[in-house]
Amino acid sequence: MVTRREALAQAVTERAVELVVSALDVNALLDEVDLNAVLDQVDINRVLDRIDLDRLLSRMDLNAIVQHIDFDSLVEQTDLGAIIAASSSGVAGEALDAVRSQTVGLDEFIARWIGRLRRRPYTGPPGPPDGLQTKAGT
Amino acid sequence: MTASAGDDTPSGPPAVIRESLQGKYSGFASRFTAFVVDVGVSLGVFMLALAAIWFAARVLTGQDIAWHKGDIWVIIAYAVWAFIYFAYSWAASGRTAGMALFGVRVVRDDGTDASGRRAVVRTLALPLSFLFLGLGFVGILLGDRRRALHDVIAGTAVIYSWDARAARLRFLSRG
Repeated sequence: MVTRREALAQAVTERAVELVVSALDVNALLDEVDLNAVLDQVDINRVLDRIDLDRLLSRMDLNAIVQHIDFDSLVEQTDLGAIIAASSSGVAGEALDAVRSQTVGLDEFIARWIGRLRRRPYTGPPGPPDGLQTKAGT
Repeated sequence: MTASAGDDTPSGPPAVIRESLQGKYSGFASRFTAFVVDVGVSLGVFMLALAAIWFAARVLTGQDIAWHKGDIWVIIAYAVWAFIYFAYSWAASGRTAGMALFGVRVVRDDGTDASGRRAVVRTLALPLSFLFLGLGFVGILLGDRRRALHDVIAGTAVIYSWDARAARLRFLSRG
């Protein structure tokens, strides 16, 4: 008997809460909340102290995140491009970049054709030598 | 021609240099053009030296010296000068003027800096690669480590030494 009453009370309460929530304009309610005042009461430093950043970072695959970044569009759309341009060595540097880039293009063209003739897929310039790999690893 | 090599923009750098090529084995075109530049530089310096000697002799003795490119001693003098030019450049910094221009460098086959002894051996072995219609250079085209005959003899390899990715970013930043 008691159980039935409790169930009835539970159902009535849930229905009452639903009616109240549906009657409330949550947006209007949020407009009245002074978030600045709320934030003033929050000690951000204390919250940050409680976060274990090392543990957080160890659970993130930063390499995967970096792979998703389109650096080309980033450079084109942000001031990073201007910074890089400012750090370059002027007209001579631009000419040098252009000459080297075109020659590398020719290297790739030749290597690709050699790969086709040998019926071996070309996957890019080989290397580096073991010593350089070790250096890169350290 | 480079468009077929994978350009993603008509006048831009090849797609391959989205990655840094530093340390990777250099291709045939980079090495060949660097060598052509080196021959030009070494010949130019040699001819300037001959002109300076001719001028000095004329001022001091009042007589002209007749040069002929077929003179054996001129050929020997150039051979000695070319040996010094290549061997010293490879021993000192791993690169000649042409190689510096095209961003390639000579290293030992394990990737460490080329020693003076290897630089000398490489220079002496270089003419061997030209024998039999340049058969010694085929290894650059077909070998996994892109080494010519003189590289194999001297225990060296040629790698890209410039940061292609940084160059691409500079290109993109210029719009």
